[in-house]
Amino acid sequence: MLRRNAPPRGRTITALAIIFAFGLPAAARAQAKSDLDEIRQQIQDLKGAYESRIQALEKRLKGAEETAASAQSSAGKAEASADKAAATAESARTQTVSPIQATQNAFNPAISLILDGTYGNFKQDPTKYAITGFQPPGATSPGDRGFSLGESELFVTANVDHVFMGALNFSLHGDDTTSIEEAYFQTLALGSGLTLKGGRFFSAIGYQNSIHAHAWDFVDTSLVQHAFLGDNYGDDGLQLTWVAPLPVFVEVGGALGRGRNLAGTFQGGGLVANDLNKNGVGAGSAFLHVGGDVGDSNAYRVGVSTLRTSTGTNVFPLADFDPTTTSFTNGDIRLYGADFVWKWAPDGNYQYRNFKFVAEWFQIHRDGDLTGPGGTGPFSQRQAGWYVQGAYQFHPYWRVGLRYDQLQRGSFDGGVNAASLIPPDFTPKRYSAMIDWNPSEFSRIRLQYNEDKSQLGLTDHQIFVQYIYSLGTHGAHKF
Amino acid sequence: MNKMLSWLLSWVLLATLSSTASAALNVFVCEPEWGALVNEIAGNRATVFSATTAMQNPHVVQARPSLIAHARNADLVVYSGAELEVGYLPVILQQSGNDKILVGKPGNLDASKYVPLIEVPGILDRSQGDVHPMGNPHIHYDPRNMLLVGEELKKRLIQIDPAGAADYEARYKAFNQRMSAAIKQWERQAAPLKGVAVIENHKEVSYLFNWLGMPVVGSLEPKPGVEPTSGHLLELVENQKVHPAKMIVPTSNRDPKPSEWLSERIKVPVVTIPLTVGSSGHAKDLFSLYDDAIKSLLAGLKS
Repeated sequence: MLRRNAPPRGRTITALAIIFAFGLPAAARAQAKSDLDEIRQQIQDLKGAYESRIQALEKRLKGAEETAASAQSSAGKAEASADKAAATAESARTQTVSPIQATQNAFNPAISLILDGTYGNFKQDPTKYAITGFQPPGATSPGDRGFSLGESELFVTANVDHVFMGALNFSLHGDDTTSIEEAYFQTLALGSGLTLKGGRFFSAIGYQNSIHAHAWDFVDTSLVQHAFLGDNYGDDGLQLTWVAPLPVFVEVGGALGRGRNLAGTFQGGGLVANDLNKNGVGAGSAFLHVGGDVGDSNAYRVGVSTLRTSTGTNVFPLADFDPTTTSFTNGDIRLYGADFVWKWAPDGNYQYRNFKFVAEWFQIHRDGDLTGPGGTGPFSQRQAGWYVQGAYQFHPYWRVGLRYDQLQRGSFDGGVNAASLIPPDFTPKRYSAMIDWNPSEFSRIRLQYNEDKSQLGLTDHQIFVQYIYSLGTHGAHKF
Repeated sequence: MNKMLSWLLSWVLLATLSSTASAALNVFVCEPEWGALVNEIAGNRATVFSATTAMQNPHVVQARPSLIAHARNADLVVYSGAELEVGYLPVILQQSGNDKILVGKPGNLDASKYVPLIEVPGILDRSQGDVHPMGNPHIHYDPRNMLLVGEELKKRLIQIDPAGAADYEARYKAFNQRMSAAIKQWERQAAPLKGVAVIENHKEVSYLFNWLGMPVVGSLEPKPGVEPTSGHLLELVENQKVHPAKMIVPTSNRDPKPSEWLSERIKVPVVTIPLTVGSSGHAKDLFSLYDDAIKSLLAGLKS
């Protein structure tokens, strides 16, 4: 009560006092004296009001103290509560002395910081890593050999006013580069189940895509996510979601964006998603989520989603073929996904034991004009991938997890190049197992092993040891 | 696609119609005790949905889709506050797109704002465990807090549903009288418990011990929110020689093993009390909750 009311009044009066004391010419001072006295009186009144409030507070605490004191054998406890009463009264007193200083900091946004690092051991050279038949849009490498710093993520968030909230997620990478992962506003008060989000944010397609790396159940993301969307697919744009007024969770949404990133298309070497120097929209997505509880112990969410991006007139290589002779342009890239998450805990108590199951499937459609040894003509390609994973917390401190990944080369219609360009007949796979130790909600140490068969003819054995620490504001996580 | 859309629309229409047909307020509570309080003051004018049950740890909760769906339709959200629900409630409020239950609106009742909080930490450092900067959020175990929160709840209900004003006033008055009388009786009953030292599990029952004047000489958790370790339990065994406890008092939602282990070593009984309404067959409402807890403690004292 005290803290909330004090600052504006205190500030105005202090400001007025300063103006009156120093801001007026000498001649006017005498005249101002009476005003000054009046202000002094006001301050005195204010002080009096605070005093009486503090007294009331002390009285209340004293009452509590007396109740405690009346117990013959709880003298120690009464003493403690008396101390606390004095401390509370004291802190109330302190607050009245410097209310402005206290409030200025009180409006600081919530800040949390993630520290992350790994030790990696790879049988194959991670710098030469590739997924046969696929072109991850982001970094291809599965990690670094030896000790390396992961992403240090900084989250800053606060309500802007009664209409909007704002959030920034700034990522400092181990190689001394930085990136803005997310920086967005979101409406608070649209009502009717509607929420508008704008700025740069992770797309709501799929399940894993919108989850930040520190909250993943494994060191790395799924193979299909890696191959089609990179670690997290984000864009600059606007997203509208609507939650239906139903007893079960039904959420529909869509987003329009700049098209900064392409799905399932190599974007290294200065290749950008599409011609960004244009008006209008470069990417669009839509999603539907349905979820609910089954008894007290089970909760689930299923989703379907789609994303459409285009290469425009920019020229991109095609996986596994010589980029000097083979490339495509005017690419229309569509992604379709389905996801399922199921969580279980006995009686819904996640404290001791719980299980989380995730399955996702994506299919990508690539259509455009292909230039190859056979000439230039339309081509059409379909690829897919899926994974299933489970993480079981069997003790408050410990979790184990298993994951299976697979990519499917799908169909390829090369048009005039059908005879000269034949994609390799190969199905990339990966098996993963992890165990992590979580001494509190704020720290995690993880050991993970991958048997990675995503390259034709090569099996990679990958071992990771990872730490993740979360400092500052206690974050809230999505389902 | 069209078929699905029309199916969805008709469903929505049906739900909207049925929700307007039943005039009852939808109240979303984070913990069962607030549901019990809403039942006392709103009666059948409100339909209560509780995000957690008495079997769960109210701090370790997933932002389940069902919570978003219920928050979407809620007229009022009642929660303990003081960061107890910090791990999921902000996500739920944000994703539900419901402007009625935003922080600062009448439809958002943070109970911790209306009661004096105890155990406000002097040092804010996570090495001290998962401390709550504003104080202990488990305010429900002091029945006097129910009168304070109940009064605010009554005001909010009247603001949201003025048509029921007389009803809420009358019900609150009756609740206040019944609860005030019960408090006096419990305090008389619990007189032998004054000064009886206990070992707690987690700081979920601090308000009860504070109310009854029972000093807590040890906690099974080495730090708040950190699970009992064997090293710490051994420390408690040692501590028993200096600050002897008369009983170990865990709540029903906690793993009984550490209490049982310690009980064998230090030869004092384990008295399991309900965490909240619904924890045991006896604790059916607020009155039977405190009743059950005090009876269990008194029985523990005799054994």
